[in-house]
Amino acid sequence: MRRANWLATFQRYQGLVGLFVLLCVAMGLDREHFFTAANFANVLNQLAVPGILAVGMTFVILTGGIDLSVGSLLGLLNCIVATWIVNDRGIAASIAFTLFIGVSVGALVGYIISATRLQPFVVSLAAMVSLRGVAYVYTNNGTVSGMGSKLEFLLDMHFGLPLSAWIMLVLTAIAAIILTSTVFGRWVYALGGNEEASRYAGLPLTKIRIGAYAANGLCVALAALIFTARNTNGDPSSGTGYELDAISAVVVGGTSLIGGFGSVLGTFVGALFIVCLNVLLILKGVNTYVGMGWKGIIILLAVYLQNLGRRS
Amino acid sequence: MTKQFRIGSFALGLVAAIVVAGCSNSGGTDTGTSGDAKGGEAKGGKKPLVVFSQANSQDPWRKVFDADTQAAADTHKADFEFEKQDAGGDPAKQNNIVDTFMVKKPAVLLISPTEDSVQSTVDKAFDAGVPVIILDRNLKSDKFTVYIGGDNVEIGRQAGEFVADKLKGKGVVLMIQGIAQIGPTRDRRGGFMEIMKKNPGIKVIEGDDCGYQRQKGRAYMETFLQKGEHIDCVYAHNDEMAIGARLAYDSWAKTKPAGSAKDPLFVGIDACQTEVIDMIKAGKLDATFKYPTPGAKGVEIAAEILKGNKPKDKKIILPTVKVTKDTADQYLKDNPNLAK
Repeated sequence: MRRANWLATFQRYQGLVGLFVLLCVAMGLDREHFFTAANFANVLNQLAVPGILAVGMTFVILTGGIDLSVGSLLGLLNCIVATWIVNDRGIAASIAFTLFIGVSVGALVGYIISATRLQPFVVSLAAMVSLRGVAYVYTNNGTVSGMGSKLEFLLDMHFGLPLSAWIMLVLTAIAAIILTSTVFGRWVYALGGNEEASRYAGLPLTKIRIGAYAANGLCVALAALIFTARNTNGDPSSGTGYELDAISAVVVGGTSLIGGFGSVLGTFVGALFIVCLNVLLILKGVNTYVGMGWKGIIILLAVYLQNLGRRS
Repeated sequence: MTKQFRIGSFALGLVAAIVVAGCSNSGGTDTGTSGDAKGGEAKGGKKPLVVFSQANSQDPWRKVFDADTQAAADTHKADFEFEKQDAGGDPAKQNNIVDTFMVKKPAVLLISPTEDSVQSTVDKAFDAGVPVIILDRNLKSDKFTVYIGGDNVEIGRQAGEFVADKLKGKGVVLMIQGIAQIGPTRDRRGGFMEIMKKNPGIKVIEGDDCGYQRQKGRAYMETFLQKGEHIDCVYAHNDEMAIGARLAYDSWAKTKPAGSAKDPLFVGIDACQTEVIDMIKAGKLDATFKYPTPGAKGVEIAAEILKGNKPKDKKIILPTVKVTKDTADQYLKDNPNLAK
């Protein structure tokens, strides 16, 4: 039994262990550049978008679901906010509209999964294809440029960190509080832990699903705003593959793909792990595609470790 | 439980081993930048660092671009360290790469931008005092040290002159077009049409947007030939589409009655693949025009900047080369890094 406890503890803090190992490796290989203030700022800048996406994905995965459409949704919202700003509809209105569309699309995906009882994988795959198509139609196959630096305030420094990093940190804290200290949070864990039991216990499963996917949609919208601030244009192909980075961060952070187990703080550590890994690979001059290979292996191992002792 | 525990520890060990191996592997291949490139200026024998952010390395032209750049960098091994990262066509990734490069305080930044959205990151690097050399695609701001690229309008003009000369000012040209909304297409078309205006005897049929793809060029040509319209020349905005059109023509020509009109001219642009040069030698294509890769020149300029020689021109336009049956062998000799 002691060993079982050891395993459970390890699974809970798997992300931290991974991050610690990675930082040790960085210490050995590239102390000179990796552990500098300039690189600290660089990592935080790169962390905001994948970190926020991963927080949203945590809600979805905790319910036992998955959302493959976040990359496409990010691309669409990127185009929408850029178009609204280019058309001078006002910054506040553009941001509000983007958040609204993000939440609505998320809620819709959650509702369809509940109503049709199809697998989340299939429904979100369909959404991934459709939303990407909508983004291309919306922009008429082109990019949206000319918005200037109107969203740049999202990257301004406050108290030593860019606003985007603060948004990510605050969002992570709020998500942690919702998941651990509210009824909705416990419902999310319950749904993922045992759907049948939750149904018999009379939990409002449809509402929980819609809530979790809507929370994810809100996160995608926030990430899209920061993405747009950094890239200063709208591109219908943007965000391709981001869903996989988000899922990776969640899994590396110790949340189980089976659902019902994990935490948003773990996800934060997982996202940090992936961004640090990316930065270290670039600093060490590793070929992008070789780097992708390593990332795949690490994700596979993380999932394997999570599933130990849970499969039966 | 014991078994699972053992597997667990084994897997954990493997993660650690892989992370270490993954990074140290690269440490071995990357000419040892980690230890000895401290900053922009050479301090006590430490070599400065030149970084290159490539937009993507997927199409044949970019492969030649990369090979030329690396070959030029290899000749300067004694002067500076050279590092390259490929953004896979994703501007967000290119931003991250350039930001991370900046942590290493490079002496010169070479960048071939994916698109305009990397502007602010490049501006930041330039403002931080790093000389920026832009390759191939231009950005809108003037925060760069030097731009190096080809001139597609001039290439279009030369192609037009070649065609007008071969047709002796009279005939029908089918123009197979690249992606409609991008600059290179506008320029390759504009330069060509400029010459055609001076040759009113030549009629130009404006073909479809075939997206610079061989298979689309082929499908379009197949359909076009069904119309039975007579043409004297096919001008495609790149070699891939010219090859596609030629393949379509060849399979169509098998069915036409023997002894009818002679084959039209096939003219392409880019000249970056040995396949194209071989087809020119075999008489399957008549001419192609080199769209020059700017990497080697970029590395040379970087070396000059490191010696303290600021480049005189802010814009360097590389000349094109016409490749025909007569010059094909020489062209292969002059350009050893062509794609397969």
